[in-house]
Order: sequence, then C-alpha cells, then structure tokens
Amino acid sequence: MHIAVCIKQIPDPEIAPSLFRVDEETKQVITVPGMSPVISPFDEQAIEAALKIRDAAEENAEVRITALTIGDEGARGIVKHVLALGADDAVMMSDPAFADSDSFATAFALSKAIAKLGAVDLVLAGRQAADLDAGVVGPGLAELMGVPAITFARKIEVVDGTVRVVRVLGDGSETVEAPLPAVVTVAHEMGNVRNASLRETMRAAKKPVEAWAPADINAEAGEIGANGARRNVERLYVPAKDSTCEFIDGDGPEAIAGALARRLVEEKIV
Amino acid sequence: MPRREIEGDWVMGWPDRKRYRLAPSKDQEGRTIHARTPFLELEGLITPTDAYYIVAQLQMPEPVHPEDYTFEIFGEVENPMTYTLEDLRKLPGHTVRAVTECAGDDTEFWDYLESRKKGGNIPKPSRQVREDVEGVDWHGMADNDDLDMEELNALIPATCIVSGGEWTGTRLGEVLNRAGVKDSAVAIRVEGFDMGRPDPTIQYRSVGRTDFEVHDPGVINYDKGLPIEKAMDPETILAWAHNGEYMTHVHGAPVRMVVPGWAGNWWVKWIHKIEVMDHMPDCYHQTHYFVSGKGPDDPNKEMMTALGVKTVITEPLEEESPLPKGSYAIRGLAWSGEGAMVRVEVSTDNGETWNDAHIEEHADRFLWRRWSYLWEATLGHHTLMARGTDEKGRKQPVTEWNFQRKHFDGIVPVDIEIE
Repeated sequence: MHIAVCIKQIPDPEIAPSLFRVDEETKQVITVPGMSPVISPFDEQAIEAALKIRDAAEENAEVRITALTIGDEGARGIVKHVLALGADDAVMMSDPAFADSDSFATAFALSKAIAKLGAVDLVLAGRQAADLDAGVVGPGLAELMGVPAITFARKIEVVDGTVRVVRVLGDGSETVEAPLPAVVTVAHEMGNVRNASLRETMRAAKKPVEAWAPADINAEAGEIGANGARRNVERLYVPAKDSTCEFIDGDGPEAIAGALARRLVEEKIV
Repeated sequence: MPRREIEGDWVMGWPDRKRYRLAPSKDQEGRTIHARTPFLELEGLITPTDAYYIVAQLQMPEPVHPEDYTFEIFGEVENPMTYTLEDLRKLPGHTVRAVTECAGDDTEFWDYLESRKKGGNIPKPSRQVREDVEGVDWHGMADNDDLDMEELNALIPATCIVSGGEWTGTRLGEVLNRAGVKDSAVAIRVEGFDMGRPDPTIQYRSVGRTDFEVHDPGVINYDKGLPIEKAMDPETILAWAHNGEYMTHVHGAPVRMVVPGWAGNWWVKWIHKIEVMDHMPDCYHQTHYFVSGKGPDDPNKEMMTALGVKTVITEPLEEESPLPKGSYAIRGLAWSGEGAMVRVEVSTDNGETWNDAHIEEHADRFLWRRWSYLWEATLGHHTLMARGTDEKGRKQPVTEWNFQRKHFDGIVPVDIEIE
C-alpha cells in the first residue's frame, strides 16, 4: 500500500503573539528572525496516522509512506523531521513558480504530484494548516482527484481496499467507510505524535528526497503558484485587540449574578 | 543497561541523538523565566548552557546593553568606584568550575523520606524532567486565593534545579581591595537590578502550609548580604562569562556573583550595586526566606549559606526496574558546599553494608564529581543507596530538617527489582 501525506511548513504557532507581524503592503506574514518554521501540527498527526496504519498492517504487507510538500528550501527541515519519524521518502516542490499558492493552486499541484507518484492508495493531510486555518486543500484535492474525501479523522483503519474512519463531530463521532483510493484529513484527536528515534533519524539521512519542478508534474506555469491562485486577498492584518473591564455591583450574590446575566445578554455573549 | 529508546534529532544538519535541553516555563512574551536541568540525560561535569537551570526570585529584568552597563561599589570603602564591564574585564581574570544548586532543589524528598521511614505512602518524587509538567509560571500564583498545596507541588516539581558550570570573571576580592575596604566592613550587600514584590506563594509552597503571615517588604530589588570573609574568598568571583561564552541574560548578564559552595540564591544576578557595610543587612531573601528554623515563629532562624553534602544516583533508576540479572554500574554525582568530595560509599542492601565507589578525581573543589560502583546484581529486590564525605570530613546528610525545607542532602534509596 502506498500512502501519500501532504505536509506544510508554517511559522511556529508557539511564538508569543506580540512577535507575530504581517506586512500589510505585500500581504505577507513577516518571518521572525531566529524562529525556525515548524510542521503544521495537524500534518504531523497525519504522519502519525500513516505510521499507525503501517504499524497495524500485517508483517509482510509493504506500506510505503511518501511525504509531499510545497515550500521553499526552508521546508527541508520539516521533511527531515517526518523522515525521522518514519516516512519512507519525500517530494519537495520548491520551485519559485509554486510560491504564493492559494488553497486551490496547492490542491492542484498536489493532485498532479500524486498522479506522478502513480498508484497511491490513500492520501492523508491535516484537517487544516495551523497558519491560515482554511481547511480547503484536503477536500479540494479529493475533488481534483475524483475520489472520496473524509474529514476530521481521529482513527483510520484500512481493511481490504476500504478505509474506515472515525470522524470527530461537534457532539461525538461517526464511523465512515470509503473505497480506496481516498483522501482523509486528520484531526488533532488522533493523539500524541511519536518521538523520532535515533535509529530512524540516522536512517532518514539516507532516505530519498526528490525535488520536482512544475514540468515534472506536467503543470503549466499559469496553473500553479500565484498565477494559479483563485483567491484574492483584499487585506491581511492583525486585528486590533481591545479589552475593557467592567465591575458588576449589586446587593448580594443573587443581585450581582442577575446583573451579570443581563449584561451578558445585552452584549449578546449568551 | 536497558535505557529508554534513544531519541534522534538533527544537529547541524546531521542525524544525532536528541540534545536534551531545558523544558522551560515562559512568560506571555515567550521568554523563559524558569527551567529545570534534565541532568539524568546528560554526561560529564559541565551542564550545557542551554540546559542550565533557571530560577529568578523576583521578576526578570529587561536586559542592559554591555556598553551601557555600570555598577557601583560604595559604603565602607576608601574609594567608592563605578565600574563598566570593560573596566572589570581589565582586572586579572579568574575562572571557577562549580555546582550551582537552588536551595530548594529536591525539597519534596524531605517529606518523602520521612513518610518512607514511617511506612507512609507519599510517592517518590521524580528526577526525570518531562515537558508535560513544565510551563507553569511560579510567580503570579499570589492572585490565587484558593491555594492547594498538593496541586502546587504537582504543578512545579522542585527537583533538577542543579547544574555544573564554568564561570569566568574576576575575583570579587580584587574589586573590593581596589576600593579599599575599611576594617569596619562586616558584609557586602550585593543588589541586582531585578525588582518585584516577593510572591508569598513561593514561601507557602516551600513551607507546605499557608497558616502563617509572610512578611511583605513591598517592591524590592533582589539583594543579599554576603559576609566579608566569603566575599574575599579567592573562589568568589564577579562573572561575565559562562561555559566558554559571554553570559546570557537569563543567567545574570552582564555580571553576576558566583559563590562556589553556597546555594544559588547567593549568586546574585544582574549586579548593579555593591555596598560594603559595617553590619549584616536586612535582606528579604536572607532574613525572611532561605532561613533555617523549626517553624515560621522560631525566634532563632538563621540565614542558610553553604550547601550540605550530597550524592545522587543517576543509574539505575526506579523507572528502569525490573532489570535482568547481570552486572550494572551504579553511578551518579556527588558534591559539597564546603569543598571536594573525597569519598562515596554505595549500599545495595538498604544500608546494611557499604562499599567504596570509584570517584573521578579532578582539581575543581566545588564542582561535582562523578562516581561509580560495579554491582553484580542477584535475583530479588534491592535497595540501592549512596552516601558521601567531603574534604572537611562532613558525612552526608549534614543538613537538619528546616521549616522551609531547603538544602536537602538526605540519602535517597533507589528500589530495583532483579528478575
């Protein structure tokens, strides 16, 4: 079985909010010096999901895990990371022509790359990238590939050419099945990601990482990157935060609670 | 010996073992304000700077540019002086290698040993640094009216606040002699530019109860009154470098005091004033905190200075038990507040019999020493213990129980099952 996992490098979400800046002129996030980008945590869980499928597979069943990413050379760090976690090989699409892709252009390039990989049985991705939080690439990819999409997976099993997914719902979960090939996006409920072992990290240094240019995936220049983007960013800005504090007075706890409840209703908070 | 699976990481582009670094607590700006040293994961004698423990009693100050930095020396001196960092660096240099240990390191073990002796069930505190218990701001607890001691102890483990480092600077005695200390001098009050209002929770947590009043000095600068004899000790220095590079802000840059043998709270960081005095000053962190005594009301409380005599078993760990029959090196670290460790003894039978361990000799009296003992482990339950003796003949443990539970140096048993 061949599993492709789509991963994305993002600014470290753990940095202090005060360090996060955007350039409103160019509509770009400003990189914080000295702060290395990290793998989007949902994508790391997608890798974990793939590894769990391999762990559960029968001993002689071959499960190959390929990581795919679009990003500049800086993304090599996250590629090394997922190879050290246990992915078998990786493809980087670092050509400048891929830069400034929107969700559609990203899904398009990934669909072309997956087509080039050949017989991919299952595509996994994070439920959304933890920077822009759009959550469009996974389902978009399924649409372009013409295969089923299942979102928000917390458990994935592959049995006899079928993928069975426990999906997270607002008030519980549901189990959904689809024939392979399929695209599944992974929620953080998948659980903790394993640590890279020294043995696997050392093996990772020898694992193949291919660099594909647009021509390698049969993509035209107008279909990818900024040229292929269908999203028009009107404005990118950090919203101003305004907080005020109001003390609620009253005679006794009941009166205070009543006054508080009325204020919350007035402010449409409850 | 079966250890946990070795984790891998990318170091300078090469696959390598994971470098164990601090599991820090950070403030809202993402700046580290507290961190413990994962010393079980380290080897050798010098704790890497990125793994050196961090404790600040008051708020961490904003950094001062080295070129804008000055400190004054005044009081009972012939020539009051103001030093820049450059002035200080022109004086004859001195490097010391020493253990820095927080007075509260291993404080939980006081209760654990007492409970174990009485057959109680207080679980053994762990010296393993796990990221999932870090991330708590130990300041800012003062606002919490509903303090739960057990919760506090669980939130902020007080193990692993010890490190070994190399400190480079100039002798404090050199600076004092140049200022011309008068005969009337008794102590020097060293003040840092870190300020804040001491959080009473820190003391409540230390004592383990909240039914007493903690003195509130208001907003103060951190300061300590170092007795003149220790100030003139040739090993006491004003340091600007740490582990071979200029000191980092969290460790007290531009200049901090290094007082080998004495607890970390004496090693005043971010120095901006040195006042030579003809009496012992009344410093909060000396007359109200970091004091010995039987209880908050004890009239005979005394400031705590030198660390006791301590050994720690780093291998094997309870977490690795049960182990298969075979031979194992029982190993660990040993240090003392009053000089070199000269003897470490190991028991594998709950203290019934003791055997000498091999000590790695070196010339740095205040740096910990590594020791080891080869153990042919037989089937059954074994309680391992280690105890040390320093060059002054002090035998572990030397520190008596004190109500703030500081300077723990008890003998901690390690229970290992051999199958």
